[in-house]
Amino acid sequence: MKPSPFTYHDPHSLDEALALLNQYGEEARIIAGGQSLVAMMNLRLAQPDHLIDINNIPVLNGIECQDRLLQIGALTSHQDILQSELVRQSCPILTNAAAHIGHYAIRQRGTIGGSLSHADPAAEWPMIAILLDGEMEIAQLSGEKRTLGARDFIQSIYTTDLAPEEILTKISFPCLEENEGWAFKPFARRRGDYFIVAVAACLTLDQSGRIKRLRLCLGGMEATAIRLDEIEQGSIAHLPDENWIREVAKAACNEGNPVDDHNADVEYRRELVEILVTDALQDAFKGTQRG
Amino acid sequence: MNQTNDKTAFLNAGKTLLRKEDRRLLTGHGRFTDDIHVVGELHACFVRSTYPHAKISALNTAEASAAPGVITIVTAEDLSEWTTTLRLAPPIEGLLPIEMTALPKDKVRFYGDLIACVIATDRYLAEDAAELVIVEYEPLEAVTGMFAAMEEDAPLVDEELGSNMISHQSFETKSIQKIMKAADRIVESTFATARQTHLPIETRGCIAEWDEGSQHLTMHIGNQAPHPFRSVLAGRLKLRESQVTIVVPDVGGGFGQKIALYREELIVAALARHLKRPVRWREDRMENMLASSHAREDFARTRAAVDSNGRIIGLMLELIEDFGAYCFYPANYLARVVAMILTGPYDIGEYAYDVKVVLTNKCGNGPMRAPMAITSWIMDGTIDNIARELELDPVQVRRLNMLADSAYPHTMATGETMEDINPGTALEKGLESIDYKNFRKRQLDDRTRGVYRGIGICSVVESTTYGSKFYKAAGIPGSGHECAWVKVDPSGEVRASAGVMSTGQGYETAFSQAVAEGLGVDPKDVAIKLGNTDVAPYGMGSRGARGATAGGGTVYLAAAAVREKALAIAAKLLGLNSADHLSIQEGRVCWFFDGKIQETELTLSDIARTAYLDPTSLPDGMEPGLEVTKAYDPPPMTYSNSCHFCEVVVEVNSGIVKIERYLVVENCGNVLSTQIVEGQQLGAISMGLSGSMFEHMIYDESGYNQTGLLSEYMMATASELPEIEIISVATPNRRTPIGLKGMAEGGVMGSIGAVSNAVSDALAPFSVVIDSHPISPLSLRQKLRKSH
Ligand SMILES: Cc1cc2nc3c(=O)[nH]c(=O)nc-3n(C[C@H](O)[C@H](O)[C@H](O)COP(=O)(O)OP(=O)(O)OC[C@H]3O[C@@H](n4cnc5c(N)ncnc54)[C@H](O)[C@@H]3O)c2cc1C
Repeated sequence: MKPSPFTYHDPHSLDEALALLNQYGEEARIIAGGQSLVAMMNLRLAQPDHLIDINNIPVLNGIECQDRLLQIGALTSHQDILQSELVRQSCPILTNAAAHIGHYAIRQRGTIGGSLSHADPAAEWPMIAILLDGEMEIAQLSGEKRTLGARDFIQSIYTTDLAPEEILTKISFPCLEENEGWAFKPFARRRGDYFIVAVAACLTLDQSGRIKRLRLCLGGMEATAIRLDEIEQGSIAHLPDENWIREVAKAACNEGNPVDDHNADVEYRRELVEILVTDALQDAFKGTQRG
Repeated sequence: MNQTNDKTAFLNAGKTLLRKEDRRLLTGHGRFTDDIHVVGELHACFVRSTYPHAKISALNTAEASAAPGVITIVTAEDLSEWTTTLRLAPPIEGLLPIEMTALPKDKVRFYGDLIACVIATDRYLAEDAAELVIVEYEPLEAVTGMFAAMEEDAPLVDEELGSNMISHQSFETKSIQKIMKAADRIVESTFATARQTHLPIETRGCIAEWDEGSQHLTMHIGNQAPHPFRSVLAGRLKLRESQVTIVVPDVGGGFGQKIALYREELIVAALARHLKRPVRWREDRMENMLASSHAREDFARTRAAVDSNGRIIGLMLELIEDFGAYCFYPANYLARVVAMILTGPYDIGEYAYDVKVVLTNKCGNGPMRAPMAITSWIMDGTIDNIARELELDPVQVRRLNMLADSAYPHTMATGETMEDINPGTALEKGLESIDYKNFRKRQLDDRTRGVYRGIGICSVVESTTYGSKFYKAAGIPGSGHECAWVKVDPSGEVRASAGVMSTGQGYETAFSQAVAEGLGVDPKDVAIKLGNTDVAPYGMGSRGARGATAGGGTVYLAAAAVREKALAIAAKLLGLNSADHLSIQEGRVCWFFDGKIQETELTLSDIARTAYLDPTSLPDGMEPGLEVTKAYDPPPMTYSNSCHFCEVVVEVNSGIVKIERYLVVENCGNVLSTQIVEGQQLGAISMGLSGSMFEHMIYDESGYNQTGLLSEYMMATASELPEIEIISVATPNRRTPIGLKGMAEGGVMGSIGAVSNAVSDALAPFSVVIDSHPISPLSLRQKLRKSH
């Protein structure tokens, strides 16, 4: 469990890092928190010749909120997000999700950008990004930037739209609305494990108490988290009562195309979805009643 | 020896002290194998099989040998020159003898099996080179299940044996067959434990140093039984035993994984000698999980003949164990104990067992904390099934079948004698503490609300501290005795040693208390020196819950003998004609006079100084010096008992089990150190719960291990484990020093049974019975779906 040989690079600016990436292309790998990459390297599943450490590029780190857009630098650690008052106030579902990622030591090093670039289908950030339609800001050598919605960015299991020469620099999430109810419900065998199945939901009601907007997302059912667009659309103007919750839960559990493994068979994943959707919608509804 | 073993007679045994070893361990100053560095050391890395079962048709190390940093790459042929073949052939009826070379010659038997060893200047380069070794395999069909292994045309794991069934033993009382035939009612139950591994936080590892000048091998290694390890290592290297020293530093857990001499360590030692350079090896986590040692994977079936009241009139056990591909221990050794002690606290005079152990293409098994772990689940699970089938209360069936506490000593049908235990008291005390009387009503009320609550009870009679007589009777070579010395230096400093070795259990603390008790000093003034075979006396090491009774007990006896000599000297110095009224307390000689204890001016230091430096002042004929070495062979078996109670709520929609209460009533005799005993109890229960609810080493049908990483192998963490309440109903053992008993394994036995029985109880309305582990939410859902 030792990595194969590599050369370590320690750029101090984004340009420098981009230049290195451009120079080494497929032979290079960015290292952020190293919490996924180092394990892969130790198992020799990844054998990069060049490791480009982005930890000394300060512009990649930090949390800001502008025009109801929460912007998080790619290098921001899970723990910093968990502890941020700004995040808690503007987008509390992120705080909750961060608390479910691994354990303290892992959250201290692991970064949101690393997690999104790694695109583990059982990880918290890719799922929340898909739920909230987060926007990825990507830097290229040319000095150009491009932005991409989460659903386009995350393509499949461990696969994103990032080119080898690109760096994910920033992730923006629209702040939750006032009185927006939300819930994140992961199921794992042990505290801190990657989830087996997870459900995330955001719910807003109109003045008459009917559904204005529902966002509903399932994790663990496919190669990426999935948004239940049809159910979301169909719920608009519905009363958020127990009946509706039951129907949505029933419908949601038929979504996706999950796999059998030793953690869960297909049927069990669907059973979990039904339980977790029910739970999530009840919580989200309660959230809408807070104000 | 204190004949009464009355707890109140002890001044130091049983006290709660802070663990002596914790100052260094908790401040990061422990010294583990990895903290030791030897100038010029080389690193070993093993090339391992990527097939579950295959012939090695070609092996090419040319390119790898030329890689940077590589010193040598050795294969089976090289090693056969430097090492002998292990032959494990104890004269045990029904057990086939096996032979094992340092590296397999022409075929690999499991995924992760050894092929070659790379020695390089560092571990990174060694791994780089290992990737370049070219192995050509001719895949063979793998046998991956115990039942498949027993089939007529099953592929053979070890061709030499002609069968995969390496051991088959049976026993029956005279009338059992007749009783079973005549019985009105036979209740059949099955139980299956999952394959597990020990998972010590520190994997295996060692450093071998060969001193060419003195022709001496020093082996630094985390090991539980340094002397027996030395004997085997010396033998297999064709060295005299005096040419080998084993030095065990701090060890990060063993749980049974660090007893035997495995092939890797033998190879590392052989290479150090061959290369005349120090060689080190640290097993990585994946190697540890894939290829170190596994455990459990038993299947048991009981058939109980019962009368209409639930009284068991005859019991038959069929037990099969999947032992994996290699035997580092006699293969019958673990399963046999289950069969021997199964009936435990119950009055079952007519009994039969049939125990088979089979080889499969998986990592070899070894003893893991409570090798007989399944015993109490089988027995109390059988009782619960009887209760369910006869629609009786499970407590009533227990009471009906349980021996009265006054019936001990009692000899089981197998000839095993239990004494000084109180399972009846433990059961009743626990029932009262958990308020069993009202539990059933609570359970029914909850069910009407869709809450499925259950209680599981498991009585444990734990076999501990196996004495030599037990080994002899079971036909297992080896001894159960232990050896210790206690020395008081001329300065008055007290040191002690024994052959057992701690892998984290806190022997330094407990043994200090044993010395303190025997000698009459403060535990903090005692230095315990363990783990170096040139310093410690030859002992049998740590296993089978023998640390306190065999290790601590022997230390105590040696200390008491030192005290006796010290007091004889004291009497002479004080001008008394006998030491009868003298004692030593906190290092000072005291005199019992006029109904009162009075201090004298004499201290242990004064006596020691006299003993070493002024021998002419000693009583006539007395040897100078103040040290005693003692050996002690404990009773054939020292039994402890306990009763475990687990209350759960099962969410039937998700299959999630919540442990709401866990209580254990314990009788582990008098103890050396209360805090350490409590740690062992909590640890053992946690290990049992983790094993029965989470852990599972999964092999797919072709023999590939699916769980060779910590991310895949589920071990419970503190977050998943319940608060544990412990109630003591201890009674001393009448024969052991201080009335000690072992206790480190019973918690595993009890928790496995208690949680399984609790879940079955909760799911009774669905007729779901837990008959296999782990009790995962998925497995419960799969069972519940079938019951709908
Ligand atoms: C024991 C353990 C438990 C864990 N449990 C969880 C869990 O429950 N949930 C969870 O979500 N995660 C979990 N993780 C993973 C953790 O969250 C990682 O931190 C995360 O997946 C990767 O982030 P990182 O910063 O460590 O990235 P790295 O490991 O440094 O990199 C991961 C990948 O992303 C690339 N990369 C990193 N940053 C960028 C960037 N800015 N631009 C482009 N590419 C980039 C790297 O090249 C690499 O390919 C766990 C990890 C461990 C070790």
